[in-house]
Amino acid sequence: MAKDITIYTTNTCAYCVMVKKWLTAKGKPYQEVNLDETPERAEEAYKISGQLAVPVTVVTKDDDQKEVIIGYNLAKLAPAVS
Amino acid sequence: MSETEDIWDVLMVGAGPASLSSAIYTTREDLSTVIYEKGVIGGLASTTDWIDNYPGFAEGVSGLELGEQLQQQAERFGAKIELGEVLGIKDVGKYKIISTTDGDVKARAVLISTGSDYKRLGIPGEAEYYAKGVHYCATCDGAFYREKRLVVVGGGNSAVQEAMFLTKYAIHIDLIIRGDKFRASEVLIHELDKFPMIKVHMNTTTDEIVGSDGKVTKVVGTNKKTGKKVDFPTDGVFIFIGLLPNTGFLKDTGIELDEIGLIKTDENLETNIPGVFCAGDVRSGATMQIASATGEGATAALKIRKYLEKNS
Repeated sequence: MAKDITIYTTNTCAYCVMVKKWLTAKGKPYQEVNLDETPERAEEAYKISGQLAVPVTVVTKDDDQKEVIIGYNLAKLAPAVS
Repeated sequence: MSETEDIWDVLMVGAGPASLSSAIYTTREDLSTVIYEKGVIGGLASTTDWIDNYPGFAEGVSGLELGEQLQQQAERFGAKIELGEVLGIKDVGKYKIISTTDGDVKARAVLISTGSDYKRLGIPGEAEYYAKGVHYCATCDGAFYREKRLVVVGGGNSAVQEAMFLTKYAIHIDLIIRGDKFRASEVLIHELDKFPMIKVHMNTTTDEIVGSDGKVTKVVGTNKKTGKKVDFPTDGVFIFIGLLPNTGFLKDTGIELDEIGLIKTDENLETNIPGVFCAGDVRSGATMQIASATGEGATAALKIRKYLEKNS
């Protein structure tokens, strides 16, 4: 089970919108870190993902293990949040 | 659904402008319609910063907003959008069996409108630094380049439009164009004059993307006139060099493609397989414009209705 889901996004990123739409459709609440509104957190997103790209979804499991999914990748998102 | 069995009247592959427009028409004709989308609803148009040439928006519209509006309009009349991938299409006579990541689905007619994706350059460093300095979506990843230098590759509408968008973040952009002129529209070329931080380099090939410590540091090109190598120091590269049709999933279907992989259709927008139609950027002969795609989508819907009337 996912204890927390945090998505790093930007205002204009269509793939970020898709991740949010998909999580909403699955009834999974999430927190959003918008890098246009909080540019100082871009480095944090880079450190977590190792990539200069969004969306980055961080799923924290019940045992506090974290899984990082880069992009809108249903094959990885679906098992991570189940 | 049209019958007691679970058979959709129309299944559409890809939820870009062509199929969303088509779905507005098919659903208003009371044809049950499902659309499968593996990526972004609204297609490549949704990843475009700003669209100034789509009729009905006097001041232009963001790609995201246009995609959202098209989706809402199609859903208002009953179109169902499934977030999943179509893997193949099989014609079994009375209907088609469409295999998807969620299992097999049946439909009496199919509309393929999978559009296209940005081409890769195929040069050293491109794959190695993908998403670590090499990007194909400015609206997604531009925010990582505040106060940085960028290279944009390409001379068409997307390259010019996205280079201008990236000036929101970057302090300097080298726009590298292989040919001796832009392929972008005149309006966009004139617009470039307002962006002195974009330096245009015509007649220049992009040969290699170089980096160190996991980050891009420069792009190496060649000036075609002098034959000399040119270094472009940069923090990132955005590549917009044209489009590649999304037809990989059709390889075992028998649907006829042209020499560059676009789907061949007749004057009814029907492929060589009866009941399988095609509209938008993925169609051979398409003009690769959003306005054309929505128009083709509407036309396809009417042709599908005729096909279903004849074959029910």
